[in-house]
Amino acid sequence: MATKPPALARSAGHAIRVDDLGVRFNLRFTRKTTLRQQLANLVNRRSSEHFWALRHVSLQLLHGESLAVIGPNGAGKSTLLQVLAGIIQPSEGVVDVRGHVSGLLTLGAGFDRELSGRDNILLGGAFLGLEDRVTRELLPSIIEFADLGQFIDAPLRTYSSGMRARLGFAIATSVDPDILLLDEVLATGDATFREKSKARVIELVRSAKAVVLVTHDMTWVSEYCNRALLIESGRAVMEGPPDEVVALHRQHTEEARARKAAAAVAAGIDPRIASRKRR
Amino acid sequence: MSVTSEAPATYRNAAGPRGPLALLTEAIGEVRSRRRLVAYLVRAEMKKRGADTLLGNFWWVLDPLLQMIVYVIIVTILARDRYPDYPLFIFSAILPWKWFSAVIGDATSSVVSQERLIKQMAFPKIVLPISAASAGVVGFAFGLIPLALVMQLFPDRITPFVLLVPVIAVVQYVFSLAFAILVAAANVFFRDLGNVTRHALRLWFYLSPGLYGLDLLRGLEIFEENPALITLVRLNPFVILFESYRAVIYGAPDAPGVGLAPDWFALGALLAVSVAFLAVSTMVFKRLEPTFAKVL
Repeated sequence: MATKPPALARSAGHAIRVDDLGVRFNLRFTRKTTLRQQLANLVNRRSSEHFWALRHVSLQLLHGESLAVIGPNGAGKSTLLQVLAGIIQPSEGVVDVRGHVSGLLTLGAGFDRELSGRDNILLGGAFLGLEDRVTRELLPSIIEFADLGQFIDAPLRTYSSGMRARLGFAIATSVDPDILLLDEVLATGDATFREKSKARVIELVRSAKAVVLVTHDMTWVSEYCNRALLIESGRAVMEGPPDEVVALHRQHTEEARARKAAAAVAAGIDPRIASRKRR
Repeated sequence: MSVTSEAPATYRNAAGPRGPLALLTEAIGEVRSRRRLVAYLVRAEMKKRGADTLLGNFWWVLDPLLQMIVYVIIVTILARDRYPDYPLFIFSAILPWKWFSAVIGDATSSVVSQERLIKQMAFPKIVLPISAASAGVVGFAFGLIPLALVMQLFPDRITPFVLLVPVIAVVQYVFSLAFAILVAAANVFFRDLGNVTRHALRLWFYLSPGLYGLDLLRGLEIFEENPALITLVRLNPFVILFESYRAVIYGAPDAPGVGLAPDWFALGALLAVSVAFLAVSTMVFKRLEPTFAKVL
């Protein structure tokens, strides 16, 4: 199946190997298209527009490593996680993921708003491909970790966003994945749950699981991740020790802010307003 | 305790598309391994519709009855005394049609409505239209209750042939499943497909011999002049299905209680065509599936 021979020296024990990954979106179809629009497009046919969300991204992750993916909004961090999870297929390059992947990329969504928390766990297990017996075995520990009390039998739509995030995190981390993908989870929930989820992630890293997480929490990156990857506009800018990558990210953020401010001044806008408008 | 998710650990790359047969076998494997998921989704759908409550079931019973009354009134005004025992005559068509149109309606939005899940998890998307189509079976089963009620009104039309309804329903299930998978995939790319199918379905119903018999069509001038057209009309799957349901539920118009067997040859042919259609629409779905997460 492999089109390229794995020639890299470290490829022996890797959990994830990404080689020259590119993900291309067809802008023509990424808007919510309707039949009417498509007919209109046929009439005044424009050349199809493409957009590379990621390009020339390579990385390797061994078991037991945890990689932080950082970068500004819209850089392609979440797209990278989606590729690793097998949700999006790469347009070019090779992605080799060895092991069972778990991870709710946007936690706090849940599976079905009308069903109870308990039913959502069962449904979630079925979506993740677990056997029903296994999900039922896991049920008590998931319920305990999510700590929802009597709400576990109430429909999901009655949950607060923090409660939904707790449930999602509990499900994603309970299936004992080899590779855990987390997107902005550490920012959800109250302080107590944040501590609890940090402890769970560290535990997963210790038990030789690979973790890839997208976060804006730089303290977390330098304290708990072995490696970090900085992505900007779909390109991997730097991969290496967290402290160095975080420093570069900080520097780039400052530079971008300065550029914005300078541009605003040039355009005659109060820089304080301009900086507040930044996404 | 070691618990692992189903192996998605395959080597993924940007290699070229797989062949149609590989897609088909992959889809069959996915559905087999996710039977439980389909069951859960059907049950969730039932819960949402309230079909697990007494009042929810009440509507499943009442809805076809009300629809029948509307049609009986309209047709009594438009054309007097066309068929004896007319309520039963159209009920044998209303019930399967309600099932089919509900399935197509649900299936159209089945993939698009799970946009969030599709973007955060890798799972075989084909379970979505399959569960939409399967949830329809439950609805149809409930619809058999009002059918039994209406049949009580015309006791001399009850024959053992009515036990063949499930056999015809199997053929309809395969056909509607194939259709459901196709529209579910197409709706991802054309979000207003629901508007099109709604009207297309209405036209389809009125062009199919549901409110009238095939003999009425034969009497029309255009068909008398071109007998070949009737053959064309017979290619409509719902000509075969309606005529079959009507044969076993209603029998012949002029001979109540005699009972008719369905046209086995036509049903068999429809089943064969539906299976082929199912294979094709599954391949199309699988081919388009990798792009869903990007397009949604």
